[in-house]
Amino acid sequence: MLSLMQEQAEARAGTLDEELLIPIRHEADLLTARQRGRALASSLRFSSSELTLIATAISEVARNILSYAGTGEILLRLARKGSRRGIVVVARDQGPGIADISLAMQDGYSTAGSLGLGLPGAKRLMDEFNIVSEVGEGTAITMSKWEH
Amino acid sequence: MLNPTQGRKLLAQELMLSDQEIQKRKAFLEFSAEDEKALTGINDLAERYASVVIEDFYKHLMSFEETRVFFKDPKVLQRVKNSQREYFLRLTKGNYDQEYITNRLKIGAVHERIELPIQSYLGMYNFYLRTVAQRLFDAFRSEPDHAFKVFGSLMKLTFLDIGLAIETYIDSRERTIRDQQEAIRELSTPVLQFRPGLLILPIVGLIDSQRAQQLTEQLLHSIRANRTKVIVIDITGVPSVDSRVANHLVQTVEAARLMGATAIVTGVAPEIAQTMVTIGIDLGRVRTVGDLQSGIEQAERLLGYRVVQSDDVPDPNEQA
Amino acid sequence: MRAPILKQGKYLIGSIQGSLSDADLLALRDELTSTVREQRSSGVVIDVTVLDVLDSFAARTLRTISQMIRLLGAETVIVGIQPEVAVSMVQLGLTIEGAATALDLEEGLALLDARTGRGARRHAR
Repeated sequence: MLSLMQEQAEARAGTLDEELLIPIRHEADLLTARQRGRALASSLRFSSSELTLIATAISEVARNILSYAGTGEILLRLARKGSRRGIVVVARDQGPGIADISLAMQDGYSTAGSLGLGLPGAKRLMDEFNIVSEVGEGTAITMSKWEH
Repeated sequence: MLNPTQGRKLLAQELMLSDQEIQKRKAFLEFSAEDEKALTGINDLAERYASVVIEDFYKHLMSFEETRVFFKDPKVLQRVKNSQREYFLRLTKGNYDQEYITNRLKIGAVHERIELPIQSYLGMYNFYLRTVAQRLFDAFRSEPDHAFKVFGSLMKLTFLDIGLAIETYIDSRERTIRDQQEAIRELSTPVLQFRPGLLILPIVGLIDSQRAQQLTEQLLHSIRANRTKVIVIDITGVPSVDSRVANHLVQTVEAARLMGATAIVTGVAPEIAQTMVTIGIDLGRVRTVGDLQSGIEQAERLLGYRVVQSDDVPDPNEQA
Repeated sequence: MRAPILKQGKYLIGSIQGSLSDADLLALRDELTSTVREQRSSGVVIDVTVLDVLDSFAARTLRTISQMIRLLGAETVIVGIQPEVAVSMVQLGLTIEGAATALDLEEGLALLDARTGRGARRHAR
């Protein structure tokens, strides 16, 4: 089912309407998510650095899903804002939720190099970052990057 | 820089409109299924007068000095005539969808590539609509209302096309501007190969986020290309350093380190040093030196060079 | 194997061949540490030239690898971090403590020579 959806999505990739849905259930899905994300974003005018930033941000939020919710999904979509085009990434799960979002968004790494939830990092990699979370309900992160 | 074929492909992709966008434009022009029907209804008529209209149009173009010059090459002329004819016939075939739009963009790109001025390109629509109007009214002499209706549909469709044509031209201009901006940015930050393994990056002027990003990428690519071990980043020419700029510097230095290169920041003016301490900017592990010369000396030492002043230095003013 | 390990004198070279999943990275960690012990290597070069994304897990694992290898008495050098990857790592605040970094395999081996005491012999003046 997934590969059929992916095939269809790939066939229509770049039409600005379609969404690519990647279930996050196993560690191997992280690789899929960032590869698909990079592939989709490469149809836009991004530098190779920006493509890497996008792929890395996807990896981080997807990893979060696995670590804290167990399962979830990543949605990838191309979008247009006026004359600029961009990629929108939604990371959704029905996990435990984040009690204190502002705390989670604080930079947890100093010299120790430990990364906490990795969210502040993902936020820095993208242009827009929005997080909605409800304890006991789940979490949804929407982040996007736009062409310059 | 892209070659023309790549450029056209990219253009089609870039300007590719979503189905949603196409619907919006049609709605704005009030172009509906009825209009589509009206147009497919005159397909036979269109096929009959296609060649004549095209010949007339290009004869018109060739009678003007400014436009004749674009079609000096008979091959080019034939090519545009052919694509123009196809275009003309496509107008009455229906299915004005994604594929139709992409084709329009391609044709616009062909004309833009030979640098035909936009008003000449738009002038074609003017000529075309007038010629077709004439033939329509001739063909439907007994049903002027119908002729008018069909003409209306045609006008809506050609305005859709004109919108696309203008976008093609605008996009090309924007691309040129972007390329030039890129070139200016690169020019303003020369990366100087000083010794094998030693690079100097003199930064002049204000650094904004965009420029900082470009600087970092340029530097990192130079490290890879020149197998650089030490970089001297000179900020003598940077008038002010706030926490954002300091952040960019720190990130650049850290990124360089990941690629095996050490960076030394030189040219930190006393005032800047003062400001940074006052604001509490911490450059962390970034090495800084006050002046460029000391920075270069330090860099050379790191690379294992030793500069020794020799006693028999020839006096440049002395006659040999 | 996604990351074959080659022996070069007293050193090991772990060359990553493509995109690595988390499991692949952990497998590399295990292979490297056991091979270092087996071969009594004094240095390890991990070549990440082909790696397109180095995220927090990869950075953590590389750090773990270097720490384990240090405990076994050897040095680690990470080579081949590409400009795009370096930029994203720095933006994410990732560091790989415990490992040195160098541009490529050649530089990495030279660095190991310097650090494991072979430097005096090799340093050309």
